Amino acid sequence: MATGFLTDTTVCIGCKACEVACKQWNQIPSDGFGLTGNSYDNTGHLSGTTWRHVAFIENPKKRRLTGDVDLVALAEDVTEPLPGGAELDALGRWAFMSDVCKHCVAAPCQQACPTGAIIRNEFDNVYIQPDVCNGCGYCVPACPYGVISQVPHDGRAFKCTLCYDRQKDGMEPACAKACPTDSIQFGDVEDLKRRAEERVRELHEKGYTQAYVWGTPEVGGTGGIGGNHSKFILMDEPETYNLPRHPFLPQEKVKGGVIASAVAATVLGAVVALAFRD
Amino acid sequence: MSEATSESVQQSNGRVETSHHPETDPKRRDKNYYGIPPIKRAHWTWQVPLYFWLGGIGAGTQLFATVAQLLGHKDEALTRVSRYTVLLTMLLSPVLLIWDLGRPERFYNMLRILKLRSPMSTQSWSLFTFGNLGGLIAARQAAEDGLLFGDNVLSRLVIRLIPARLLTVLAMPVGLFVGFNTGNLVSATSVPIWARNWMLMGPTFLASGVSTALSWLSLVLHLGHWGEEKTLRVLHRAEKAVILIEGALIGASLIRMSRWSKPLFSKEVAPLFVGGTLIAGIAAPFALLAGKESRSKSMLASVLALAGGLAFRFAIIAAGRKSADDPEAYFTFASGESAPQPEDKI
Ligand code: SF4
Ligand code: SF4
Repeated sequence: MATGFLTDTTVCIGCKACEVACKQWNQIPSDGFGLTGNSYDNTGHLSGTTWRHVAFIENPKKRRLTGDVDLVALAEDVTEPLPGGAELDALGRWAFMSDVCKHCVAAPCQQACPTGAIIRNEFDNVYIQPDVCNGCGYCVPACPYGVISQVPHDGRAFKCTLCYDRQKDGMEPACAKACPTDSIQFGDVEDLKRRAEERVRELHEKGYTQAYVWGTPEVGGTGGIGGNHSKFILMDEPETYNLPRHPFLPQEKVKGGVIASAVAATVLGAVVALAFRD
Repeated sequence: MSEATSESVQQSNGRVETSHHPETDPKRRDKNYYGIPPIKRAHWTWQVPLYFWLGGIGAGTQLFATVAQLLGHKDEALTRVSRYTVLLTMLLSPVLLIWDLGRPERFYNMLRILKLRSPMSTQSWSLFTFGNLGGLIAARQAAEDGLLFGDNVLSRLVIRLIPARLLTVLAMPVGLFVGFNTGNLVSATSVPIWARNWMLMGPTFLASGVSTALSWLSLVLHLGHWGEEKTLRVLHRAEKAVILIEGALIGASLIRMSRWSKPLFSKEVAPLFVGGTLIAGIAAPFALLAGKESRSKSMLASVLALAGGLAFRFAIIAAGRKSADDPEAYFTFASGESAPQPEDKI
């Protein structure tokens, strides 16, 4: 059975419980106390020391407040027309998104790793064996989502393990356990896929037609990656969440590159040989 | 955020000086998250480009020496210089690569497994093989030169047991692999400027490697007043032709990289790329070689070509860093047809 995450950004409240739970359970070193000045997000991005990251996106509305404003409806971001022609908007809304390793079906990081430190474990998760990694750092630029990095003072590369240890004991990952709104759901990938589709359908019915699933072979898990075991329900363009729309498996072209290079080598050899002719 | 015009937002790469998300600027079209890079750049510092350069010299030297041997061109000085050159580059390369590791003491894990799809893995194996072959060949040379403590049992055994000419032929393809794989190593990543050029990166690195190797051989032979007249003439001709090929491949790469080649012409990288590679490393040596042959001119051309090759490696790595840090570059690259796709024929 393949396990994975479904992160439903529509119910995320930006409490960062997942970030904290992940840090605590996995005993990840601190990132320091930097203030980015960007919204309330002082973590910025995923890294070797941040395996869950909550993005804070401000969505200001363009229209001005007029007429009789229903503040409750405003806060709830109701999209239906209101009685008395009251206008909504102006306050805008927040979008939050708890990002994590995508646990790619064909994982670029795994294909890049020369030591075989990155494996697929029995839960079909992409896992870095810390006792094998020698910190070559080649997985870092290979990941199309900027998930992995080398941890300073340690030298090795780290990323989300999908709480391999907890899964072995039959528990769900720490972030999913801590999430108070069930924005992070853990389970069988096929199951999660169905749940995601259902939820998107529900959202469409409610009028949120912009909702869609990211991490499928059509969007987000593209270009030979074959989809992701961590899926997301998004309400805006992927780039808004710092996610690529159409990433690719970089190793797809290794063979082609070698063939082209072999041709070049032959040509160069011939040119050098010709230079010997007097 | 009245002061934050769309230009200032663009220039600061999304980092506006207000608490608002850059999206609040209605004129801004490219979406990203506070300008934070969506992918992580390679950590490579000076060791890796320096290794690329040395590996290229080793590869090109092996190519020239093998071709000379196969064509029956006998020049002891050339044989000696090329064998020791390969040995030197193959001694330094692993040192640089191990230095670059986060956990250098675990370098041997590189040889735990062979993965044909990982250029880092094939790189380790080809270096290991090429280094050992080069080491054996150089040992035989050293024994012949009396460097193994004169004429003793050991050196006689080495001369008897090491079939240097056979090994030379075997080492050539491995050496060439080391030479071009440095290019494939950078292009098999998510970095737009590198990944976009997947087809020509290997050939360009190899051409540059051969060009630096020829320059190195000709420089050393000139310096020592070694080598036969014919060797120097051949080197001269080959240098000219290979520099031309290298220039053409770099040009074709730029066309292929199209809009993602911008970092190569940025303030920080342009001196290395335009000044160091294109002008000092290709145009100038070609002009020097094209004119009337002379020892000093040839030596100057060699020095320039060698420096240009080094500048090229550093420029490519520096440009990759900028390319990875630019959300706009990555998102435009990973948004549709631009990135390589499995179903692409080329
Ligand atoms: S998202 Fe990145 S780190 Fe996670 S499995 Fe995919 S390539 Fe590896
Ligand atoms: S840093 Fe570690 S996990 Fe990443 S590619 Fe190198 S050996 Fe593999």
